[in-house]
Amino acid sequence: MDSGDDIHDANDIESLNEDIESLNDNYDNYDDDAAAADYFDDDDDDDTHPAKSRRIEQSFTILKESDIRQRQEDDIRRVAAVPSIPHGAASILLCHYNWSVSRVNDAWFADEHEVRRTVGLLEKPVYDNPADAKELTCGICFEAYPLSEIETASCGHPFCFSCWGGYIGTSINDGPGCLLLRCPESACGAAVDQDMINLLASGEDKDKYDRYLLRSYIEDNKKTKWCPAPGCEHAVNFDPTGTGKDYDVSCLCSYSFCWNCTEESHRSVDCGTVSKWILKNSSESENVTWILAKTKPCPECKRPIEKNHGCMHMTCSQPCRFEFCWICLGAWRKHGGSCNRYESGEQNETEKRREMAKKSLEKYTHYYKRWASNQSSRQKAVADLQEMQSVHMKNLGDSQRQTELELKFITEAWLQIVECRRVLKWTYAYGYYLPDNEQAKKKFFEYLQGEAESGLERLHHCAEKVIQVFLSDDPPSPSEEFNDFRKKLTELTNVTRNYFENLVKALENVHDGNPCDLDKRPWGAGAMMNEMKE
Amino acid sequence: MSTPARKRLMRDFKRLQHDPPAGISGAPQDNNIMLWNAVIFGPDDTPWDGGTFKLTLQFTEDYPNKPPTVRFVSRMFHPNIYADGSICLDILQNQWSPIYDVAAILTSIQSLLCDPNPNSPANSEAARMFSENKREYNRRIREIVEQSWTAD
Repeated sequence: MDSGDDIHDANDIESLNEDIESLNDNYDNYDDDAAAADYFDDDDDDDTHPAKSRRIEQSFTILKESDIRQRQEDDIRRVAAVPSIPHGAASILLCHYNWSVSRVNDAWFADEHEVRRTVGLLEKPVYDNPADAKELTCGICFEAYPLSEIETASCGHPFCFSCWGGYIGTSINDGPGCLLLRCPESACGAAVDQDMINLLASGEDKDKYDRYLLRSYIEDNKKTKWCPAPGCEHAVNFDPTGTGKDYDVSCLCSYSFCWNCTEESHRSVDCGTVSKWILKNSSESENVTWILAKTKPCPECKRPIEKNHGCMHMTCSQPCRFEFCWICLGAWRKHGGSCNRYESGEQNETEKRREMAKKSLEKYTHYYKRWASNQSSRQKAVADLQEMQSVHMKNLGDSQRQTELELKFITEAWLQIVECRRVLKWTYAYGYYLPDNEQAKKKFFEYLQGEAESGLERLHHCAEKVIQVFLSDDPPSPSEEFNDFRKKLTELTNVTRNYFENLVKALENVHDGNPCDLDKRPWGAGAMMNEMKE
Repeated sequence: MSTPARKRLMRDFKRLQHDPPAGISGAPQDNNIMLWNAVIFGPDDTPWDGGTFKLTLQFTEDYPNKPPTVRFVSRMFHPNIYADGSICLDILQNQWSPIYDVAAILTSIQSLLCDPNPNSPANSEAARMFSENKREYNRRIREIVEQSWTAD
């Protein structure tokens, strides 16, 4: 029951990228699978925006660090296009307005004076240093320095280089708040911009500041997020104007996740269900339910007791030593060995609660088992796909005299399995939360799920087991047999894809807000096929 | 070894000796410039009049970029002073500025005595009494003043 397992996927697939790259052509079949689109992204074009991906409706862009820096610089320049805003000030303004160029412009042109005041961009110094002074006193160490060793922000308060360095360094080491750093003088709000940081901070501090600025661009911007895969440094820009509610995003690291909740991608099941399910899996509450279902409290000391064998004559452990009957929980002494006589209303509230808890635990276990085994089955499939590509494909090509292109159907089958295991896994979280009283809906969903599952099992069996004969040390010579296998696997792949399309569509239609229609819709197989062709 | 923090504390000490603000005094402990003892005298013509309240100030090498930890050693009764003597004062937390020195810190604390902020109470009994029962509040303060003469 560890939701942390989910993240393993990312590592498992990491090396897939290169392997599948060789198949970088003609992948129409995966149109609606964002994950596949990026499997084939060319790793070499580091400098271009990967936005120009094959998917036309793709509503997201993966940003490498160079892309992020480029975009950030572009935005700063756009703000600095206003003559009265220098580059450093533009960066500070954007920090204050969550990196929205239009918000900065709107605010600036609505009330420049007010914006300058809140952000700390003073037009002229508020503190006049004597014009003819050769030396100024630093406001922090109170020593006198020649003008060349004194620096001020736009306010004019003088501090020496070394005190500035300490002040800036302390702030940078305190965290990203340093991006909104102000003059050290109390109650002076003058902003300290990156140009001053670069002039006055140590090399290490400058790097940290730079890092915070980059992070702020992603984290404070509503349209961007970091890829949540461990160790991945890419970010995702998501354009919500795209079609509807497809939040699936697939990073260059090949981790796919949901833009909306940043959990592992769970298309067809909504974010609320996913977060409830993950919380449930990780929470201790199930342990409590277990204790409630499988144990009874000692009638004397109330400690939970699990009965593992033997007779009904229970003796509580030290120091309680209370003797009682497991069935009626009465004291053994009074009860003399039997409690066989029925007395109406005997089953008390506690007993009923225990019964209910037991049922609810059984239900949860049912769905959890299936959720978890699809999860591990998917991880296994990812590993099998990798092995297929790195080891078996070549041998198979040799023994059956097939070209790489001709063997593509095997990779396709495995990719389909990986994707279907993911979808199937989440349908179990969905199923768990389906209300018991919506029988028609539940039945229909379970029907589709069942169809999809048995299709997937056939496909998985074929890709995993039936193929073995061709992978053995002594494979049959090129023959009709292999062609039959090709036909069978391709067919199973297509059939399974259709089943899952239907399942996903049915679930998504429910989310679209017409759940009560689910059982009334003309969901005959023909109708579904028609819809899919659209 | 002379670090920026120690240099600055030496300068704070010199300033406190040559130009001490009214009603405060302070000095580093022997052999440790990072730990100071200080005394704040209760302002004249207030219930605090005549009190001698002892404090300690613990500095770090981040001073003056980070404030010291300041604590009353004498028993106190004040809306913004906790039972353990630590003080709830903005300039010792988020409103700290490196332009403050020991004299400024002690002066601020001195003015906090007569000018508490009952909205962020560290001692709820004192805060309630300050707003609801000034007579009793003043009586408790005079008790504290008397105790300050006898404590170690």
